[in-house]
Amino acid sequence: MLVSSALLAHTSDLDLIIRHVLAGLGHGIHAGRERGAGVEFSEYRAYAPGDEWRRVDWKLMARADRYYVREAERDSHVAVWLWLDATASMAEASRSVDGLNKLWYARTMLACIAAIAQRQGDAFGLVVCSGDRVQFTPASRGPRQMHRIMAQLSKAEPMGALPGADTLRASLHFARSPSLIFAASDFLDWPSPQSDALLRLRRMQHDVRALCLQTRAEVDASFPLDTVWRDPEQGEGVFRFGADTLGTYRQGRDEHFARVLAQCRQNNIPAMAACIEDAPAGVLRSWLRLAGRA
Amino acid sequence: MISLWWLGLALLAFPVWWHRQRRERVSAKPLATARFLPRTDPQQQRVWRWVDRALLLVRCLLLAAVVAWLADLVIPWRGSTVLVVPGTDNAWARQQGGEQLMLPTADAFGWLALHEREFQDGARLTIIGDVAMPAVKPRFSHVVEVRSRIAPRPQPGQRIVVVSKRAAQWQALFAATGYRHDAEQSGKAALVVWDVPEAPPAGLQAPLWWVGDATAFPELAAGRHANSARGRLWTMKPAATVEEARTQFETWQQLHYPPVPYTTAPITLAAASGVSPRDASGALRYLLTIALIALFALERTLTHARRR
Repeated sequence: MLVSSALLAHTSDLDLIIRHVLAGLGHGIHAGRERGAGVEFSEYRAYAPGDEWRRVDWKLMARADRYYVREAERDSHVAVWLWLDATASMAEASRSVDGLNKLWYARTMLACIAAIAQRQGDAFGLVVCSGDRVQFTPASRGPRQMHRIMAQLSKAEPMGALPGADTLRASLHFARSPSLIFAASDFLDWPSPQSDALLRLRRMQHDVRALCLQTRAEVDASFPLDTVWRDPEQGEGVFRFGADTLGTYRQGRDEHFARVLAQCRQNNIPAMAACIEDAPAGVLRSWLRLAGRA
Repeated sequence: MISLWWLGLALLAFPVWWHRQRRERVSAKPLATARFLPRTDPQQQRVWRWVDRALLLVRCLLLAAVVAWLADLVIPWRGSTVLVVPGTDNAWARQQGGEQLMLPTADAFGWLALHEREFQDGARLTIIGDVAMPAVKPRFSHVVEVRSRIAPRPQPGQRIVVVSKRAAQWQALFAATGYRHDAEQSGKAALVVWDVPEAPPAGLQAPLWWVGDATAFPELAAGRHANSARGRLWTMKPAATVEEARTQFETWQQLHYPPVPYTTAPITLAAASGVSPRDASGALRYLLTIALIALFALERTLTHARRR
């Protein structure tokens, strides 16, 4: 059973949320755990003809009188980068579920991916774009890194606008080795320094996957009528949503996201739009499957 | 009659109006996808809600206090009361019981006419003591019972100075009536008996002089009585008999008291209808003035604090 966003939104304990979302998910990001020669011990396996003699555990053989081979986890060479957009627009809350907003959802998704990466032995790092700044957590492995990433994710507050193009371009050196980049954002600014950075990363042969977060109200255009709105990132100016502007809104929004998705497709970036009211486990599975490698 | 000043309470509408209307920009709510909507001009709207409630309350109270001060507000706060005329025997007054109020003036009916509005409807009023009878029967909207009792006459001045060659005869007269007398020729006295040819010293003062030897009083040349700068002069001789002495004494006593008003007989005045209260009694003016000052200071303080 997929746990709904509404249920999960009641807790701020990311660890707990991850366990719920990942329960029964069972799939990894890329081809599963490879056993073989390595440093970190994984398990014992009965000796099979053809195994290297140096991998046989002789002490165990003396105790059990059988041949066992030490299996070690093979370190993955893939680094997973989590890209979190924590600008002011990500504070957009669900109009049907209390306590649920885009940032919460993005955070949950990325935390789940971090947990999967940790299970697989991959290195993982975090990029947070918030308040005109980029904040890096360098990629690393292990449970301590997991705690670090979780702390950074929990700390992220929706504020400010996206960092400038120069700031982002200067920061792209983080991904040297081939890496997987999971970007969660609302992609309302496109083209933007963020989109440029993601396209550039893609051109650098990184595997970029985008999750475009929306609310159900945004998709259905079901906001309260005759209310004055302001853009959280663009300062001055107010906007009116009424029955007469419904068509304008739908048209503008559809065109925008059609352009975003088309550009992603052109650049071979698997992109997916999801409503934050949807069950996180289902969305996560779809997102991971999107590249056809789940 | 209700004072027309009370119409000034309509002024309270002004602070209420000022405090309720407030122009305000329509508050805009954040919406991430607002960029897909057409822009609009910021709208002003008149917000109809209470602002600065404490200040509004103080200002309304201030205005109400001003109006009440002008209209001379009287709140009937006194219940059934026993009004005690000054000079009444305390022990007797205590026997009458009830909530007692000592009147500031001997004119009980006059005081009551001024202050009748302070008494609640149905309050039973009792006036006790030596109540002076007015020329016209008074009318009140309350039942007023008068329990009168003639007060003892005030004693005249106690001191009598006797300067006489026949001092023994004068002293016999005053000894019979119990008056204190001496021969010291200074200070104030009620009566001076002067029976020597020398002129009296300037330091001796009295409203009445009994003169036995008129040598020093040329005013008495015209007759037996005269008024002088020293006081009233009588030509007197010491009484020869006890009867004559009593007659002399009583004559003096009767002539030298202030006029005593006639005491009203005990009576219960029924409540009359249509009695219009007399002009402002000003009973609460002092309290209202203090309240006004306090409210004004409070209003200034709050206004100043709000601007900060």
